[in-house]
Amino acid sequence: MGRTYLSWGLTALVCAVVIFLLWPVRSGWVLASFDAPAPGTDPEHDAIQQGRTIITYWDRSQGHEYEMHNSLVDEFNKSQDKIYVRTVSIGWRIEKLLTAISSGAPPDVCSMDGQALSQLAPQGCFIPLNDWMATQPNMREEDFFPHMYETASMNGTVYGIPCTTDVYCLLWNKEAFRKAGLDPERPPRTMEELQEFAAKLTVRGPNGEIEQIGFLPWLPWDFTYMWGRFFGGNWFNEDFSAVVSAQDPQIVKSLEWQRSWVKDPSDPNPPAYALDKDVAQAFYNGFSAGGAYFSATNPFYTGKVAMIHEGEWQCTFIPKYAPNLEWGVAPIPQPEGAPPLCYSGSCVLDGVPVGSKNMEEALTFLAWYYAPRADGRPSPASDYAHMIHNLTGRKTEAAHERFTQDPKFAVFVNELMTKPAIFYPSIPVGRQFADECQKSREYVMFGQKTAEQALLDSQTMVNGEWDRLRLEAPEHVQ
Amino acid sequence: MTRTERRDLRNGLLFASPYIIGFLTFTFYPFAASVYYSFCSFNAIDPPVWTGLSNYRQMMSDGYLHTSLYNTFYYTIGSVPIGIALSILLAVFLNQKLRGMAAYRTIFFLPTIVPVVATSVLWLWVFNAESGLLNGVLRQIGVEWLLSQFGYGLPNWLSDENWSMPSLILMSFWGVGGAVVIFLAGLAEVPDSLYEVAEIDGAGPIRKFWNVTLPMITPTILFNLVMGLIGAFQYFTQVYIMTAGTGGPANSTLVYALYLYQKAFMYLNMGYASAMGWMLFAMVLALTVGVMYSSKRWVHYHGE
Amino acid sequence: MGNRNAIKRIVAHLLLAATSVLFIVPFVWMVSTSLKHESRIFPESGKPPEWIPRTDQFDEQGRRLIIYEGKPGVELKDVDDKKVILVDGQELNVWPSDVTPQTRIGFHWQNYPKAFATMNFWVNLRNTLFICVSVVIGTVISCSLVAYSFSRIEWPGRDALFVVVLATMMLPYEVTLVPLFVLYKWLGWTGSFKPLIIPAFFGTPFYIFLLRQFFMGIPRDLSSAARIDGCSELGIFMNVIIPLSKPALATAALFMFLFQWADFLNPLIYLQDDRQYTLAIALQQFQSNHESEWGPLMAMSTVITVPIIVLFFLTQRTFIQGITMTGLKG
Repeated sequence: MGRTYLSWGLTALVCAVVIFLLWPVRSGWVLASFDAPAPGTDPEHDAIQQGRTIITYWDRSQGHEYEMHNSLVDEFNKSQDKIYVRTVSIGWRIEKLLTAISSGAPPDVCSMDGQALSQLAPQGCFIPLNDWMATQPNMREEDFFPHMYETASMNGTVYGIPCTTDVYCLLWNKEAFRKAGLDPERPPRTMEELQEFAAKLTVRGPNGEIEQIGFLPWLPWDFTYMWGRFFGGNWFNEDFSAVVSAQDPQIVKSLEWQRSWVKDPSDPNPPAYALDKDVAQAFYNGFSAGGAYFSATNPFYTGKVAMIHEGEWQCTFIPKYAPNLEWGVAPIPQPEGAPPLCYSGSCVLDGVPVGSKNMEEALTFLAWYYAPRADGRPSPASDYAHMIHNLTGRKTEAAHERFTQDPKFAVFVNELMTKPAIFYPSIPVGRQFADECQKSREYVMFGQKTAEQALLDSQTMVNGEWDRLRLEAPEHVQ
Repeated sequence: MTRTERRDLRNGLLFASPYIIGFLTFTFYPFAASVYYSFCSFNAIDPPVWTGLSNYRQMMSDGYLHTSLYNTFYYTIGSVPIGIALSILLAVFLNQKLRGMAAYRTIFFLPTIVPVVATSVLWLWVFNAESGLLNGVLRQIGVEWLLSQFGYGLPNWLSDENWSMPSLILMSFWGVGGAVVIFLAGLAEVPDSLYEVAEIDGAGPIRKFWNVTLPMITPTILFNLVMGLIGAFQYFTQVYIMTAGTGGPANSTLVYALYLYQKAFMYLNMGYASAMGWMLFAMVLALTVGVMYSSKRWVHYHGE
Repeated sequence: MGNRNAIKRIVAHLLLAATSVLFIVPFVWMVSTSLKHESRIFPESGKPPEWIPRTDQFDEQGRRLIIYEGKPGVELKDVDDKKVILVDGQELNVWPSDVTPQTRIGFHWQNYPKAFATMNFWVNLRNTLFICVSVVIGTVISCSLVAYSFSRIEWPGRDALFVVVLATMMLPYEVTLVPLFVLYKWLGWTGSFKPLIIPAFFGTPFYIFLLRQFFMGIPRDLSSAARIDGCSELGIFMNVIIPLSKPALATAALFMFLFQWADFLNPLIYLQDDRQYTLAIALQQFQSNHESEWGPLMAMSTVITVPIIVLFFLTQRTFIQGITMTGLKG
C-alpha cells in the first residue's frame, strides 16, 4: 500500500517538473532551451517586442550600489526606443568576465577595476576609445583625475572610461578621544602621534580583556601598498618593468612597521601600541566576518576601534548606521620626509569588449551615461557617484557642490584635488601584484616570514608571471 | 571469425559507441591537449606559444605550489584516515539491531546529499569567530572560560592561519555519512558464524571488533580509502566559497585544485594550470597504485 | 543477560543520539537563522546563540519597545535607527549598546519572499531542473546502452575498454578542465547549457560501471531465450534487460539528479548570463552580493536544501541500495 502511494507521489512529482519546464512563461518560450532558457524581466520583454536592440551590461557593483546603478540605466531605457540595456551584477567574480571575454562571448559593455583592464587589454580584448572620446564632451584627458586616466590607458591607448574612484582618510572617534584624555578635535598628525594615540586608546575591561583598540594598519582591509609608498618606498623599478620591493629599504621598513603592531613573542619590550596576535585578528574579524562592515555592528561604529583609515562613503554610512557617533576626518599621518600623498584604492571603469555584438549601441549608451544632461544637470555617471557616495572619475564633476557641501566629504575631495594619488599601476600582472601585497603582509604579521623574505617571494612570483606574459605577447606588454 | 562473432562485435561496438565517441572527445582529446598545453604559455585568448619545459621548471621553484601541495596533503591526512575511523565507529554502532536505526542512518547521511554550496555558506556562518554558532556554543558550555584560565582564547577558526585548515577538516567529518552507509553494507556481509565462534573463544566486544569485524571489512576500507584520497585531492568548492576564492589567510587554505583554478581562470595562465593538472594526475595515480599494492598485505577477501 | 543487553542498547542509543545532534544542528541553525530578523541574527557578544527566533516587540503606535539599562521600560521614540529615548518626557541620546529590545518568540518569514525576489528564484529553478532532467535522461540512455555492451555482448577488446572506463574514473577533473574549456569555446558552447548537458549523452564512467554490475547479475538464459524467439540485440535490451533493471536505472537517475542539482564548478565556468544561472550558482552569487543579509541567504539555502531532503526521504531505499551496490563491488 505504502509503495503505491510512493510511486504515485513520485509520478506526480515528475509530471510537475515536466509541466514546469514546458510552461509558457512568455509567448515564444515554450520549452526551456540550451541557450537562453529564461526570459528576462517584463520591461525587457516589452523591449524585445518593440524590436529594440538589447545590450548587456555587466556591472561590477553589487547590493545597494547595483540597485542605484540600475535606476540610472532604467532612466536611459525609458528615454529610448531603439536600445534597451539589461544589467547583470557579476560582483567580485572577476573570472566570469575573464572567461566570457576570452571565450568570445562577452557582454556589450562591462564595468571593471583597473586590474581587469590591464589584464585583458594587452590581449586586445577591449576596443580603443581614444577616437570616440575625442568626439564627446568632457572626455579630454585633463577632465579626469590623472590617476584615473592613467589606470584607464595602456601605452597611451584608452580602453575604459573612468567612472568612480575612492580616497582614504583617517577617521577618529571623538568620544573615545575624550575618554582617553586626548583632545577630541585634534587627530594624530605624525606617525609618532598615531602610535602614541593608539596606545592611549587601547582600553582594557575589568578582566584584562581588550575592549577597544586605537588603530591597526590593516583595518578594515589591507593597506600594504599604500604604507609602502607612504614610507617613501618604490614597489617598481623606474621603467615599470619589474617589482623591486624587496630591494627597497623603505618598503621593507613599512612592512616591519606594520608587523610592529602585533606583539612579537620573542621581543621582551614590544611597543606600547602593539597587540596580541589573537586580539588583532579578532578585531579584524569584526570587519570582515558576516557582512558586519555595512551594518550597525561595524567595530568603528560601535566604538571598538577608535581610529581607522576609511573611504569617503562613510560620510553616508555613519549617519545611517551610527547616527550618534561623533567623528572627524583628517589626512592619514605619513612618515616625515616623504612628499604628501593621498591613497586612491580603487578605480571603476567602463569598457566595451572586442566581440561585442552591438558596439554602436553600447557606445550610444555610454555617451548618454557620461554626458551632462540636456537641462544642464551633471551626467548620470556623476549622479551614480553621488548616490553611492563615491568620488567621480572626473575632476570637473568632483568639484560640484553636491560633493563638497558636506564638510567631511569635502576633506576627502580636497585630498584627491590637492595631492598626487597613490594607485595600483596598470600592469598586466596587477591582480597578482595586489594579491601578493596582502599575502606578504599576512605572512609577516603571522610571523611566518621576515619582511624581506615575504617581499622577495612575492616579487619573484609577480616578475615571473610578467616575464611569461612578455614572452607570450611581446608586442602588447611593455 | 564466425558470423555470430562478427555480429557480436558489430553490436558490441554499436552499443558502446556513445562511450567510445564520448571518451575520444571529452576525455582522450582533452587529455592529449592538456599534455600539449602544459608545454606552452597559453592564455586562452591568443594561440598557445611553445615554451618547452618552462612550466615544469617554474613548478619546481613556485613557492605557492609547494604551499598548496602541503595544504592538500594536510587536508588529506587530516580528513581521510580520521573520517574512515569515524565512519567505521558509527557504522558499528548502527549495525546493532536497534530500533530507530533507519532514522539515525538518514540523519548521518543527510549532509552528504545537501548541495555543497548551501553547506559551505552554512559553515561559513558556523565558524564565524565573533557571532558564529561554534564559538557561541563553546562560550555557553564554558570552554572559553576554561581556555582563558590557561591564557588562551577561542580560536578564530577560518581567519586564523593555524586554525583554518583544521576548520575545513572538521567540516569534512560532517560528510562521513556516505562512508557510513557503505560500511554498513560491508558489515552486513560479515557472517554471524564468525562472531559465534569468537564468542565461544570468550572474546569480548572489543576483541571481536579487532579480530573479526575489522579484518572482514578491509575490502570496504580499501574502497573508501581510495575514494577518499581521490576526493581529497580534488577538494575545491568548499574552500572556494568559504575563502571567496583566495585560499587565505596567508595561503593557509590554498589547496591544489584552488590554486590550479586561480592560475587558469583568474590569472589566465592555462599552460601552467595544465602542467599542474598533470602533476596532480601523477600523484593521484602513484598514491592509488601504492594503496592498491599495499592492500595485498592488509585486505582480506571473503572466501580466501 | 537481558539486563546487560538493555544497558548496552541504551548506551548505544545515547551515543547515536548525541552524534545525530551534532549532524543535525547546523541544519536547525540554518532554518532558525532564516527566520530571524536582521537585527537579531548577530547575538550580542557574550550572549548565547538564539535557537528559537525572536522578534522585537512594538507598541500600538508601531514603536519598538526597548529596555534602557538603568531605566527599565523606557520606550524608543522613533522606530527606526535613531536611538533617541524618552525619559520622563525628555529626550536622551544613548548608545545602541545600552538598550535591549524587548522580544518575544516570532518568525521573520519576510526573509523568504525577499530572497525569492532578489534571486530570480523561479528562473534559476527552471534552469536547474532543465539541466538535471536532460542530464538524467542522457545518462540513463547512454550508460545503459554502454553497460549492456560491456556486460551482455561478447566482443574482442571489450574488457580492455572496460579497464579504460575504470581508469577514467580515477582521472582528476583538473587535468581536463582547461582543454575542455578551450574545446567548448571552439565549439561555441560556452555561455550555454550545452557543456553541462551534451557530454552526459556520451556516457559517464561511474554509471556505466554501476549498471554493468547490475546487468551482469541478470541470468544469461533470459537473453538466449529471447534470441531464440528471434529478438534482435536491441529488442533484448529493450524488452528483457530494461524492464528487469528498473531499480538500478532509478538509482543511477537519482544519483545523477542529486549530483547535477548541487554541481558548482561547471556552471561556474560555463554559464555567463544571470538568466542561465542554476540555483547553486545563484546562491553563491547572492552570498557574494548580499554579504550582510544572512537571513535571506539562509532562507535560500533552506529552499535549495529542502527539496533534496524530501526527495531523499521518498527514495531512501533505492538510495541506500545503490550505495551498497557500488561500495561492495568496488
